[in-house]
Amino acid sequence: MNVPLARFTGTLLMTAFLALTLAFAVQGTFETRAQIASTFARQAQIQRAQLELEELLRLQIDEENSLRGYSLTRDQFYVSEYQLAAAGYDAQENTIRKVLAAQQLLGPLRLLRDYAALQSSWRAQVARPLLRHPRQRLVALDKRNKVFADYQAESGVAIRQSLAATDAQLVRTTQMQLDRSAYVRAFWLLAFGLLAILFNVYRSRLNRELEQERTITEILQQAFRSESVPLPHCEVGSAYVSATNHIAVGGDVFDVYRLSETDALVLIADISGKGVDAAVLTAFIKFMVRAIALRCSDPAGILAEFDVALSKAVGNPYLFVSMFVGVLDTQTFALKYGSAGHDCAYLRRPNGVEQLAVTGPVLGVMNEPFASRTIQLAPGDTLVLTTDGLSEIRNRAGEPLGAGTMALIESADPRAQQLADDLVRQAKARGGRRLRDDLAILAIRVLDTEPDRA
Amino acid sequence: MRRVGAALLVLWLAAQVSAAPAACKFHRGEHVVLYSAADDPSVLVWDSRARLREYHAASFDEAQAMLPHAILVAPGTRAEVIDCVPNYVESPIFRQPDDAIGVVITSGPHRGSARWVLGSDIRAIP
Repeated sequence: MNVPLARFTGTLLMTAFLALTLAFAVQGTFETRAQIASTFARQAQIQRAQLELEELLRLQIDEENSLRGYSLTRDQFYVSEYQLAAAGYDAQENTIRKVLAAQQLLGPLRLLRDYAALQSSWRAQVARPLLRHPRQRLVALDKRNKVFADYQAESGVAIRQSLAATDAQLVRTTQMQLDRSAYVRAFWLLAFGLLAILFNVYRSRLNRELEQERTITEILQQAFRSESVPLPHCEVGSAYVSATNHIAVGGDVFDVYRLSETDALVLIADISGKGVDAAVLTAFIKFMVRAIALRCSDPAGILAEFDVALSKAVGNPYLFVSMFVGVLDTQTFALKYGSAGHDCAYLRRPNGVEQLAVTGPVLGVMNEPFASRTIQLAPGDTLVLTTDGLSEIRNRAGEPLGAGTMALIESADPRAQQLADDLVRQAKARGGRRLRDDLAILAIRVLDTEPDRA
Repeated sequence: MRRVGAALLVLWLAAQVSAAPAACKFHRGEHVVLYSAADDPSVLVWDSRARLREYHAASFDEAQAMLPHAILVAPGTRAEVIDCVPNYVESPIFRQPDDAIGVVITSGPHRGSARWVLGSDIRAIP
């Protein structure tokens, strides 16, 4: 696995772990919230059942007291009070039964049934006989009433205790859920924190490595970059700007080299790779092309020879190079050039800018022949060679400059160096101070002075 | 050896303390009032302490069958304590066992009867 891919995979994995940890923590929090909410809702229902039970016991005492009042006074008022309390009791018992059944509280429900059975027996064995024979007051009935009172009191206590025990159990459950939630949340928080620290360490190391690589790349590029080589009757300007993205640095090269008293080699190339490898390859391109050009002055031949050398020197089948090679006669200003897929070559004339045609495929891809073309430059003409860092510079809307490059070149300062600087300034302004790719510009302007025509 | 002996002595003393009989809340000769804390304040008094205990442990039907052995006295009936068996009556509902108190009723239609009553159904006369 190559280094950028490993870096990307590492970053992706760490981000995925962090996101997963965060997702678990958030999901756990919501799950616990739902559990606790459910427990609280159940507890609220039990507390409601407890309140309803107290009301039921009160109604039962009302019923019994009304009967006792009737037994002592024989006043019909107590009969209607008794009937009112009995109806209230029945409704209340029904309500509690529903609450307990809904909450699946089987223990208290069974005890409630016992209580209801006692009440029913009390009505049958004590209340109705007393209502039917108000004149008789039987000792046996009184004793029976006492037994009912004792047992109903016991039964009521049993229901109370059962509900209280269930309530206490729910409180314990809630406590356990809260404890568990706290532990689980602490665990995920810890895991998230540790992962974040690890991620930060990883990112710091990655950034350090990238910074080192960028520094090395820039040093290499600076070392291999051509200084301004004076050409007779010409003005040479150049500019080179590294991409703001560390990983994108290092694939552009340009060169101006005197081959003889009259001929000069003009070169610009863009390598598909980036980083230190690409920076080293720029040196290879520069010196290999120079070496070939010293033997062969035909740009098509230079490109063909270089293509062979490149495929032998570089074992990476995914690497390719776009290149413009020109041989300029500084006496006649005839430019013979070959362009291997490099469509960023322009000729600025007083009446406009034209794009120089591509004369062959990019290098390192296919074995097709290259062609050479010759154009005649005139005083005032400027050969502008750039890399795709200019034409692909995007504005805030994400649109590339594309065909606008020619208009940009036309509107730039006519002097060679100022033209190169202008283009860099315009590119930066359009890209919002951000360059996605390296940008190399080489401008050669034919001066107005009359050349010494041999 | 001495340490083992001391430990055994401590254990024996602890066992004696825990096995000591609980004290009665009421004592012989004390004058009391019968009053039940249940919904019906009248009090069932029993002809024997065994039936008193059985009543509180019995099912509802069993309890009804035992009623001929009990009399129902009105709340406020006075009595005098003649005996006490601490923690004698147990019930699934009681948090702890209750005393069985032997009393002689000193007021009302059952005056002069000697009966047994639950400790929590009597109040001391201030």
